[in-house]
Amino acid sequence: MSNVAPANPLEMLAYNLSRLITDGEIVYVGTGLPMVGGMLAKKTHAKNITMVYESGGQDPLEGDMPWSVGCPFTFRKSPMSMEMSLSFGQCAIGYVDIAFQGGAQIDMYGNVNTSVIGSYENLKSILPGSGGGNDIGSLTEQSVLVGLQTPDRFPERVDFITTPGYLQGGDSRAKAGLLGGPTAVVTQVGVYDFDPVSKRMRIKALNPGMTVEIAQACTGFELLVPDKLEFVEPPSDEVLTILRNDVDPRRVFTKMPGT
Amino acid sequence: MGYLFATQEQMDRLVDYKDAREFHLKKDRRKRDKRMSLSDAIGQFVQDGDIFAETGFSYVRSPIQAYFEMVRQKKKNLIGIGSPMSNCSYFMAFDMLAGIHLSYIGVEMRGNDKNFARAIKTKKSELLSIWSHGTMALGFKAAQLGAPFIASKQLLGTDMLTKNPYVKVIDSPVGTDNSPVALIPALFPDVCIIHVQQADRYGNAVIEGPALNDIALSAACRKVIITAERIVPEMTIRNNSSAVIPFWYVDAVVDLPYGALPGCCPGHYYWSREWWEWLIRNATPTEENIKAYFDHWVFSTKDQYEFIDKLGGIRFIDTVRKQMQAAQYTIDDSLVSFDYQEVIPKWD
Repeated sequence: MSNVAPANPLEMLAYNLSRLITDGEIVYVGTGLPMVGGMLAKKTHAKNITMVYESGGQDPLEGDMPWSVGCPFTFRKSPMSMEMSLSFGQCAIGYVDIAFQGGAQIDMYGNVNTSVIGSYENLKSILPGSGGGNDIGSLTEQSVLVGLQTPDRFPERVDFITTPGYLQGGDSRAKAGLLGGPTAVVTQVGVYDFDPVSKRMRIKALNPGMTVEIAQACTGFELLVPDKLEFVEPPSDEVLTILRNDVDPRRVFTKMPGT
Repeated sequence: MGYLFATQEQMDRLVDYKDAREFHLKKDRRKRDKRMSLSDAIGQFVQDGDIFAETGFSYVRSPIQAYFEMVRQKKKNLIGIGSPMSNCSYFMAFDMLAGIHLSYIGVEMRGNDKNFARAIKTKKSELLSIWSHGTMALGFKAAQLGAPFIASKQLLGTDMLTKNPYVKVIDSPVGTDNSPVALIPALFPDVCIIHVQQADRYGNAVIEGPALNDIALSAACRKVIITAERIVPEMTIRNNSSAVIPFWYVDAVVDLPYGALPGCCPGHYYWSREWWEWLIRNATPTEENIKAYFDHWVFSTKDQYEFIDKLGGIRFIDTVRKQMQAAQYTIDDSLVSFDYQEVIPKWD
């Protein structure tokens, strides 16, 4: 029996994010678990990735966990930094492979809301706004959505499309003139992708111990289920040790609340 | 379309290419000593009713001590813009903003900003248009380039377009791909304050680390105030050919060491994370709390040095200088700790 404690749900989420990164890619990183996933990938299976940030930091040296996407650790000994407009421009001209983003709501077509719950005319709550979300989601070849999965946070339709996924499904994203698109959704339950034709969210692989019923109970719309259900292979002791000792040693983003 | 407080003229002025050009043409562009005190610079160049652009990255090389002086001077009817624009939070709490062109207000993982939510919900201020960071950045960049607009592949297909009266979508009339594009107009705010590591007395300014939108904004804005960690001889800048903002864009130069506190300034000092976590988590939830917070930090301090005294004086400064040097790896980072106790209020 291993003496390394099994992954908690946040660690599992970070691990699943890391597995979506392929060695050699240029990765656009945001705050929080995406940073953890990116750093874990770089310290395990994808040593030759390059991280870039919307605040302008490009290819920083590894250091402490950044407190913000503007943190000095995002431009630690960077060979250069870029103005914001140019940093996003890289996503459009094909120099960024993969980007991550979260949101208050994610819907069945991968549209993301970070603007408003309710409507601007009839506000329930107001959210911080797009930030770089719309830019990354409009331009990047593969965008990965990250969220805690509950029926409220995963409604059939978001209250407001801040960041485009596949819009109304089918070919509506391509018709709108957008580039790239969401390729995966990662939650505490597992990993999802999108049906190639309808563009509806589909289970790709569930975390160990999860079931289709649990996944569905955490979702406000009907999930597509593949013919052959896959499960995520849990992270090895070695990977977990790297995550805990080298990536997020102070447990800034991977500590479960209340523990 | 009517607005609660903003005027149609303020809405139009943001995209009035010719007005900005006329304003720039009439500026005194002689190379002259523009040094003045912070209160004079804010008093003279940030006027009630101005479209005010935030610079830096909210808490990275942002002129926050100058923003505090704007709060002390009780500026009114400003229109806020910036990418990002998280300092607009407390401008809203002190009724300084008639409206905002929103990209993002918040402190990332630290929770939603309740000053902002309250001001919009109670109609003390208004959302005039909404943007992404990148499209607003393109609007400022278009202004710098002298391009009336830039065609982009952002915002397309989203509800953002329904809340932005400035951006128009057309099928691209040029090139080989005639799919839709979003036309982002050049954006010309009235005034911005830019905090830099070095400037000379004329306004030639050097930025270390990410410039964000500040180079574009220095060209776009009708009026520009530079606050500087260090005023250096002109020859220092000439020797390195390092200025990114030319003196003729600049109206005032303020010698303002520690002017980005409680944010960080590359090459100089790390931020006070606790200050921001207190702001977002403890101070913004109620009007009483934000007033008390600013009574403590802003209304009972007259300058950055009194502010630093409250943060812990020389011990604080020594810590954050070392932290920035360790973060930028100019000193041995194993000697410096980034451990700290996150501010988590009891009611969370």
